[in-house]
Amino acid sequence: MLNEIATFLNGAVNGAEANAHLAEVGHGCVTVDASKLFGCAKALKESQEFDMNVLQVISGVDFPERIEVCYMLASFTKNTEFILKVKLPKTTPDAVPVIESVCSLWLSADFLERETYDMVGVRFLNHPDHRRILCPEDWEGYPLRRDYKVQETWNGLTVNPEEKVNNGDHFFFKDIIEKMGDEKKKVTFSWKGDDEEDEKAKAKETQA
Amino acid sequence: MIEINGKEISDLTDLQDEKMKSDLLTLNMGPQHPATHGVLRVEIKTDSEVIAEAKPYLGYLHRCFEKHAESIDYRGIVPFVDRMDYLGAMGMEWGYAVTVEEMLGTEVPRRAQYIRTIVGELQRIASHLLFYGVYAIDLGAFSPFLYAFEEREKILRFFEEMSGARLLYNYIWIGGVWNDITDDQLVRISKFIENLDEELKKFHALVGENKIFIGRTANVATVSEEMAYSFGATGPVLRGSGVDWDLRKKRPYGIYEELDFDVHVGKGEKGTVGDCWDRYQVRVLEMHESIKILRQCLDGIEEGSIMGKVPKVLKVPEGEIYMRTECPRGELGYHLVSDGGKTPYRLKVKSSCFTHVSMLPALAPGQLIADFVATIGSIDIVLGEVDR
Repeated sequence: MLNEIATFLNGAVNGAEANAHLAEVGHGCVTVDASKLFGCAKALKESQEFDMNVLQVISGVDFPERIEVCYMLASFTKNTEFILKVKLPKTTPDAVPVIESVCSLWLSADFLERETYDMVGVRFLNHPDHRRILCPEDWEGYPLRRDYKVQETWNGLTVNPEEKVNNGDHFFFKDIIEKMGDEKKKVTFSWKGDDEEDEKAKAKETQA
Repeated sequence: MIEINGKEISDLTDLQDEKMKSDLLTLNMGPQHPATHGVLRVEIKTDSEVIAEAKPYLGYLHRCFEKHAESIDYRGIVPFVDRMDYLGAMGMEWGYAVTVEEMLGTEVPRRAQYIRTIVGELQRIASHLLFYGVYAIDLGAFSPFLYAFEEREKILRFFEEMSGARLLYNYIWIGGVWNDITDDQLVRISKFIENLDEELKKFHALVGENKIFIGRTANVATVSEEMAYSFGATGPVLRGSGVDWDLRKKRPYGIYEELDFDVHVGKGEKGTVGDCWDRYQVRVLEMHESIKILRQCLDGIEEGSIMGKVPKVLKVPEGEIYMRTECPRGELGYHLVSDGGKTPYRLKVKSSCFTHVSMLPALAPGQLIADFVATIGSIDIVLGEVDR
């Protein structure tokens, strides 16, 4: 089905550059060019063949050099679903990529895009009410970026004051201190574990 | 030239416009308000009793679940997902387990599938009973709440026996379930559901057929089919709008394919299709269907192990997946992105309550404040799931 969608998008939208990525494990996706996202979404919604009438969720995933925004589209009339994905390059680690909003196609996009902006830091053009949704409006940074650090103070209050951090309760807290030293401001240890690299090093040693 | 509030008004029409605007009164409903079912703040602008605009403000219960999930191993996340929808925690766990199992390719033993279905459906009944009781309170009737909670408490007792906790179970694990169910417990569950059908009919007669209740809910906050699709509504809200859509039927997971049950949709019996009364009725009828499913599971449960083969150190292969399951409040989806490590690279939760809250600004304009309370109650939100 992904291949059919990709062929359809390439035919319907000029320069869509739609590619189907089939997956061995889990689900595949269809990637499109970021500048043509709105056109592709519109074509999918209005096509008789696919009739993607529901936008279930928008999920932003942060990678070192890019942010992937996944639109989980579904057709409740034809009982199909798939992931439509755009890849937005990040020029600097703090950059906020821009993409067109799909609010005029699905009403659910309003809150979902606001959440993606709040958590991952993607700006949506033509959004009617572009604000943060879960964090306070004057919050700094985007929490679900992998390199996110909590700000020191907010409105004169100390964020994560030392004496309030429940060291005993966090079962992974020791791990964090060992790996990151005193950088408690990173909320949780959100990088790939070092043990994998250790394993690789060990494997190399045994080979040698 | 007239001057009002330091502003020069040259034309009389300007004056009227100014006056019209100042007539709107801004009210904050919540964050601590019994009718918002948790910590939801809705800023409403009212013209006397009629709402002109409603803006929900979320985030009061935001607990960074998605961020924490990036640093906890796959098994450790199960207790965290409990805390999203704390009134339907079994559904949350089940959805998460199904997602990871699909990535791992784990086969879940038949007995575990049966136990999951039993606890999942009991949870659905418990959750809908809570809706029934609390919705009646929202609309001014106190006693139905006490009847509903008596039955709900019996279900929570079963859960406590099985898992050790009343609300946050950590019972459905990746690959199976934590604890086996005894024959004695099965007998007691079947005894419990024996009379539940009759009880539920009485409950419905007490509230659903009540003239005042019908007056408060029929033709209120009508969600059309088109609107439900556009907002991505799922679960009882979507079915209340007359759409025959239930994941247990349309995309069966677990053993739902083998079970016989019906999907009820709103028919507009007391008003228009998709009003508050329809959503209420869908939930009540769903409880009867859950009882039907439970009977089949209790008859058909097989002997065997309750845990599939899962590696000790759980590493999910690289890739991504989006899986959804039918929870009491609607569809729950997990978008899991794995880089092959011990922890998820990203775990995004699609919460049905979040999408349902986004319907409020569209439903509120033109409603009376009292009807707005009925509207919030009828979409049955849990703020733990909205804010995560």
